[in-house]
Amino acid sequence: MSSLLDVRDVSSAYSGHAVLDAITFAANSGEFIVLMGVNGAGKSTLLDIVAGIRPPEKGAVMLQGRDLRSWSARERSRQISHLPQGNRQEVPFTVEQVVLMGRYAYADQWFESKEDLMYAEDAMKRMDCLQFRHRPFSTLSGGEHQRVLLAACIAQCPGMMLFDEPSTYLDVHQQLQCFSTLAALAREGALCIAVTHDLNLALAHSTRMLVLNEEKLAADFATVDAAAHPEWLSWLSPRLRMHQTPDGKPWVLYQ
Amino acid sequence: MINSRLIGWIWGSAIAFVFAAIVLPWIGSGSISFERVLAKASPDYPIFVELRLSRTLLGLMAGGALALTGSLFQAMLRDSLATPYTLGVSAGAALGAVVTFALDLERLLGFPASWGGAMLGAAAVLVTVAGSALKGGQLSGVRLLLSGIALNSICSAFILLINSLVRDRRSFSITQWLLGSVDSVSYTALLVFAAVVTVTSIVIITQARSWNLLAVGETWAGSRGADLRRLTIIGYCCGSALTAGAIALTGPIGFVGLIVPHLIRSRISPDNRILMPCSLLLGGVMLACCDTIGRLVMVPAELPAGAVMALIGGPYLVWLVRRRF
Repeated sequence: MSSLLDVRDVSSAYSGHAVLDAITFAANSGEFIVLMGVNGAGKSTLLDIVAGIRPPEKGAVMLQGRDLRSWSARERSRQISHLPQGNRQEVPFTVEQVVLMGRYAYADQWFESKEDLMYAEDAMKRMDCLQFRHRPFSTLSGGEHQRVLLAACIAQCPGMMLFDEPSTYLDVHQQLQCFSTLAALAREGALCIAVTHDLNLALAHSTRMLVLNEEKLAADFATVDAAAHPEWLSWLSPRLRMHQTPDGKPWVLYQ
Repeated sequence: MINSRLIGWIWGSAIAFVFAAIVLPWIGSGSISFERVLAKASPDYPIFVELRLSRTLLGLMAGGALALTGSLFQAMLRDSLATPYTLGVSAGAALGAVVTFALDLERLLGFPASWGGAMLGAAAVLVTVAGSALKGGQLSGVRLLLSGIALNSICSAFILLINSLVRDRRSFSITQWLLGSVDSVSYTALLVFAAVVTVTSIVIITQARSWNLLAVGETWAGSRGADLRRLTIIGYCCGSALTAGAIALTGPIGFVGLIVPHLIRSRISPDNRILMPCSLLLGGVMLACCDTIGRLVMVPAELPAGAVMALIGGPYLVWLVRRRF
């Protein structure tokens, strides 16, 4: 039985300089994986490769046992939705138009179907943006932007969802809401992979953690075992200490 | 969702287009009698058919082609100031045509030589611009825009150089052409241009949802299932064919590709399914109207449509820049 996602020996380089070296891991439905590492560690590159929008230089990404390079763009997008980092905010479209873009891979017609609208409405309800569906995207706040983009990813109904720093620019409450949503999506059967720098948000919500260090996948462990592998903290910063919450869950202290 | 009000705008634009095609040929410095045209009596009939009608049709199609290309490039480059001008495609086409004027070439394989020149010029610029913007198999919008601006300056410099090298009569006709005027052309030329506009417009407009995705971002579009490579190739090929055709027949006319998509985007809808067909139709109406205005304001002399468009478009651009920054 093969995994939903199988990353095999993936390497990548930017103008001759190695960024990722022989990354291998497999993942399945229901997992909420956070991908961590210092700036420039190759997190976004790895996410783009897993999303199929950047080919790996060596190795392969298998989705449902089939090499991602053999999937057409539409086929792939029915299985994978990817929220890139640093999205533009001066988009001319309304909220509803942006969310409906998530349905692109499903329709060959010039117009969206009733079904497409239904999925979009459900996604907007879920992300609490139905009430401003007709507002121009550019007039929203940072937190509202992110909710709309997440709604578009949800309307895409994929088995695997990839998020590149989904909680940047969000206030504390929005960050918590964002991570709860990702965890809920995973519980409902999706495979969620998110890049983040917020260690405690990751510890509180994810099921598994991957840490990139010096081009390698240096650590790969279940979140509940985070305290058993304290070395990963030192790769992120020497000023971090592993601690515990009152109910015994791992918690990182900043010093 | 697209509602019937928005679809109504497409129908409204189509009606304006047809209305312009029917009404504008009757307007001009000398009055034409409806009865005499129907009776095919000279001089009314030849003036109407060979001068006014062909000229109106050319204005409608060239304006539509340039406005549609403007809306296409604006979506592809995510820059509301991108037009065939900023990508250098217009300047390339103009340089190609000017070379044929300077060499006194009249016809090439049965077609006006300036056509071939403009096509070659536009294609050469496109290949150069795309080539310099291509890195690791990926085309970047910003790099395209930057190399487009560079190519634009180079082509303009060559046009000035050629214009100062050739003398008197040819220099005058080059200057005249560079002003951008809608003149009567043969119906064969119109027919070929109509075929180019029809085919490329269909290809572009049927992909409207993909252009919407690209207007948000390249990675965004790729992650929603758009085939970026294919779309980039389709977009630049269709855009340069439309530009080259229009420029070869009218000379470099600016602003129509900027003003029309902007007005529609802000007043009607930014959705390319509405924006693109309306740009095509209303861009045509706009240029044909500018040409008619140019025919009327300085009788018996004529103001080129390009000049009328610049007099309207220039102040609009200044206002737009003030509002944007």
